[in-house]
Amino acid sequence: MSSMTRLKAPMGLLIDRDQPLSFSFDGKQYQGFEGDSIASALAGNERWLLSRSFKYHRPRGPLTMAGQDANTLIQLDKEPNVLADRELAVAGAQVQGQNYNGSLDNDRDAVLGHFSRFMPVGFYYRCFFKPLGAWHRWEGMIRKKAGLGVLDLDFKPEYYDKAYLFHDVVVVGSGPAGLSAALKAAEAGASVLLVEEQPILGGSLTYNRFDLDGKQADALRADLLARVEQHANIEVLTRATCNAWFADNYLPVIQGKRMYKVRAKECIVASGSFEQHVVFRNNDLPGVMMSSAATRLMKHYAVKPGNQAVVLTGNDDGYLSALELLDQGITVAAVVDMRDGPDSEALAASVLARGVQIFNGHTVYEAIPTKGNKHVKAVDIRQITGQGKVADSGETISCDLLCMSAGYMPVYQLLCQAGGQLRYDDSAAEFSLSKLPEHLRIAGSVNGIHTLEAVVADGERAAAEALLALELSTEQPQAVSCERRVNFDWPIFSHPKGKDFVDFDEDLQAKDIVNATRLGYRDVQLVKRFSTVGMGPSQGRHSALPTARLVANSTDRTVTETGVTTARPPFSPEKLAHVAGRIFDPYRRTAMHHRHLEMGAKMMPAGNWQRPAFYGNPDDRDALMQAEAEHVRNKVGVIDVSTLGGIELRGPDSAEFMNRIFTFAFLKQPVGRTRYAVLTNEHGVVIDDGVSCRLADEHFYVTATTSGVERVYREMMKWNAQWRLDVDITNVTSAFAAVNLAGPDARKVLEKLATDVDLSPEGFPYLAYREGSVAGIPSRLLRVGFVGELGYEIHVPARFGEALWDALQEAGKEFDLRPFGVETQRLLRLEKGHVIVSQDTDGMSHPGELSLEWAVSRKKPFFVGRRSVDIVMAQPQTRKLVGFTLPADTKKPEEGHLVLQGEDISGNVTSCEYSSAVGSIIGLAYVGIQQAEVGSQFPIRVDGGDIVNATVVDLPFFDPDNQRQAL
Amino acid sequence: MSATSPESLSKRSFVYRQLAGASFRDIAGGAMATGVAEGNNNRSQAEQSALLDLSVLPRTGFRGLTAAAHLQAAGLPIPARPNQASVTGSGELVLRLSQKEFWLLGALSDSGAGVDALNQRGLPAADCYSLYCQDSHAWLALTGAHLPATLAKVCGVDLREASFPLGSIAQTSVARVNVVIVHHQLAGVPCFSILCDSAAAEYLWESLLDAMGEFGGEVIGSNALL
Repeated sequence: MSSMTRLKAPMGLLIDRDQPLSFSFDGKQYQGFEGDSIASALAGNERWLLSRSFKYHRPRGPLTMAGQDANTLIQLDKEPNVLADRELAVAGAQVQGQNYNGSLDNDRDAVLGHFSRFMPVGFYYRCFFKPLGAWHRWEGMIRKKAGLGVLDLDFKPEYYDKAYLFHDVVVVGSGPAGLSAALKAAEAGASVLLVEEQPILGGSLTYNRFDLDGKQADALRADLLARVEQHANIEVLTRATCNAWFADNYLPVIQGKRMYKVRAKECIVASGSFEQHVVFRNNDLPGVMMSSAATRLMKHYAVKPGNQAVVLTGNDDGYLSALELLDQGITVAAVVDMRDGPDSEALAASVLARGVQIFNGHTVYEAIPTKGNKHVKAVDIRQITGQGKVADSGETISCDLLCMSAGYMPVYQLLCQAGGQLRYDDSAAEFSLSKLPEHLRIAGSVNGIHTLEAVVADGERAAAEALLALELSTEQPQAVSCERRVNFDWPIFSHPKGKDFVDFDEDLQAKDIVNATRLGYRDVQLVKRFSTVGMGPSQGRHSALPTARLVANSTDRTVTETGVTTARPPFSPEKLAHVAGRIFDPYRRTAMHHRHLEMGAKMMPAGNWQRPAFYGNPDDRDALMQAEAEHVRNKVGVIDVSTLGGIELRGPDSAEFMNRIFTFAFLKQPVGRTRYAVLTNEHGVVIDDGVSCRLADEHFYVTATTSGVERVYREMMKWNAQWRLDVDITNVTSAFAAVNLAGPDARKVLEKLATDVDLSPEGFPYLAYREGSVAGIPSRLLRVGFVGELGYEIHVPARFGEALWDALQEAGKEFDLRPFGVETQRLLRLEKGHVIVSQDTDGMSHPGELSLEWAVSRKKPFFVGRRSVDIVMAQPQTRKLVGFTLPADTKKPEEGHLVLQGEDISGNVTSCEYSSAVGSIIGLAYVGIQQAEVGSQFPIRVDGGDIVNATVVDLPFFDPDNQRQAL
Repeated sequence: MSATSPESLSKRSFVYRQLAGASFRDIAGGAMATGVAEGNNNRSQAEQSALLDLSVLPRTGFRGLTAAAHLQAAGLPIPARPNQASVTGSGELVLRLSQKEFWLLGALSDSGAGVDALNQRGLPAADCYSLYCQDSHAWLALTGAHLPATLAKVCGVDLREASFPLGSIAQTSVARVNVVIVHHQLAGVPCFSILCDSAAAEYLWESLLDAMGEFGGEVIGSNALL
């Protein structure tokens, strides 16, 4: 059959016959139609072998045609491990098989299957670890044989994102239960999200046959869909997978390259059930598939799944599948019913009337392959003589298609993630779910309801419950029950020659599970970890039920006691790109940011800000930094300090608040003056510092470090929640742009712009605060000395920041004003011996270690951390932050290099740089208290393990009398 | 109000560089884009999906026990509860951000004259502190028919009409930046005014444009609404 001779409409719901396409698979061209999955297009060309199994490299073909198994894993050009029965065929696509040695059709590693008895579960755990070190020799070879597809290491990132969705009710699954639930909820006024994994709505209505005539499903689907599509309250997501359930109905739903984060007040899971396979020898051959896979091939894709079929069933659905096959011109050689007979005599009669032989109480004991296990060619049918036992001889029937259905397993994964419990009903031989959390409901076959009428009613029942909880309806839900039995209780027929697969993903046979229990792994969780059952891509969708039965039987327990392994998110494999989404990484820019770029700044991060490190070629960092520093020392420079934190305190108690928060005394800080402010925490550790400006009696403006202001603000708010002082606290960091204009010519530059402020040394002395206009911009002016030169910090409303920068550049031209960066500022302040909190301090630095006793008021009764500061300062000191110098030609220590005292580590370097102003390497370091005396030397271990001996010196390194900043 | 350029004025929007090639006019001493160089500058774009920079439009804020009385004395309508906004007759927005914090956002129609008028009034003697929202926050206006869906890509709050009707305020995070979102109408067009950290305005501008992309969103100037 070629792609152009598909089954006639209405078969082929998903394909557009007017849109043919071609693509290659393993180097050969194939034709298909738009809407085809890769697997269906290949099946339409009678290409059944899609992949090789993980361990024994056995040929594998379609099993579920619903993306629920690992049989269809293929390799795309840039993506491995893609499900061919989920991925759409695209014109021109180049598709490959994966995990083979040679070619997909002739895989040399298929020979491994002959040695399976030497490779039982866990064999490599036990074989390759002796003698010591042996594993390292084996590992490479084993890893080469393991794994599946090939990653494209040149992969270019693609755009993935996330979006929230909010609805009253989310319905997961759009089968008859989901559709009826969504409609009932929507009609009562609820906003409904309907999530469907497949491309079209309808679930089992799109492929399953529910009645003799085969008309009921289509009629019901048409009716429900028409109503859903017209309903304004229903939002539909198709090709969308609800991949987890999190508390309070927080649901990640993946559609294409987007992950929706769904928030729903009520969640109805109508996820249906997975058809289960029968365990017999060679049940993995291409051509052996779920009955639903065969009907999906026909109804979705108009593809004949075979020409001569045998149907192996444990329920009446097998008869309906047989009728569907017959209707599409496929010969059905036999229906093999594992039961003593069907529940519906009418069904049996209908099948018999079409000339199909029925074998009641029989099973397929072995599927007989063509050469190389490429396809099924016949089945060996035996009478069932007991649980898992068959007669010694049987009948062989030729076929190229074996449809099997042992029953159904509820799609329980989301529900167990939500805390639901599975209970096995021995009489029905199926699991049911209970103990679901509030506002999570189930409907349809996942709820053990199997007749179509009952499934629809159950969807409405679940919706009625949700509506009651939402207070959108007062209707009392009517309980729905269903007596129909769909599971055969023991569809496991082990064969002495094996290859009777329980888990297709991991090539696990029935004996592998039984042997695991015999080795002592009685708990199903341990069986999983030892055997890897359920750990493959299909995550136990088909292996969980037979494994539970086998473990229960082998350990003399009930299936309920045995249970299944834990279901964890995600439900199906998801890409890291989905989890990451569109990454949001906020950055902050000062008002002058673009001016820095225009002037060639090398930017560096400072928290989430970007700041100029220095201006010029990054390769010339040291020279540029030294030049900028010398320029500030000799002429005038300007640095953007907008990132400095700013906090305003206003109100009658603002001075009292300042006094309690910071270590210094602030009650009597004069208006128009600044004062250094140190903040300690309750442990007496210095956590931030800044400058306090008193603008008025009841108005303070305090700066904080760039990275520390959020913490300072938080601490202030926390403390005042306790103190309840009458003070208003506002973080104004972003509201002000600021520069530090520094250098001997700073006053001359400012005089050109600030005409309404007396800038004379007497009128505006060191540490004073003034307000005025700079280039017509309302400004706050602070005389500061952080870099040790005559300097003015100019703070202006942020919208004026760039204009201020422009005005200063213009005014400063005649004085050769140049910008300088943060790296330069760090050098300049180091020359003055000023600490930077968090660079020169750590989690234990108290004011005494930093020589900040002068900034701690001993007269006031309280400040945050006072008691701890008193205690630690009263203890014998163990270390001290000191200034040190090294000759210029010494190997320069880096921040973090260790200070040694004998064999012990006594401290570390916190800041270090060469200073052209001092003519040597200068730095700050924590040293042992015995090493802190000025003039003494201490060793520093630098790169390469070399030791350099630094000399302790008095601070500051430069301008020891601080005359320059007070000019 | 003649054609001007942002750099000719000392007050500058935090995102004016994102509007290269736009035409501007002087509003309250700052340059506001009236039309953009590329894209659809008409009302239909605003009604579909558009982003407008209102950062230079005057706004002010007050906090304290007497702040409500201060606004009331100026004849402004005070929202009954926090996180609600009211609209004055001349189009200003009065935001109530807490029991005792209020912001006044100027109207596009009168270039924010109402805010200037309020700022001329003296503050109450006690318990009322002016805020710096003109500088601490940028003002970005997102307009059109896809507001909730656009914000759903960057914000975890349900901003659909049923949960976030006209006059609602959400103080939340958009693309990991703290913002105040106000649901109102701008010249009859559905609008979310987004007030964000002014230092993060360029970041948020780009993030919002990215989120608007699938809805055909574009930058517009104020003329599209006038």
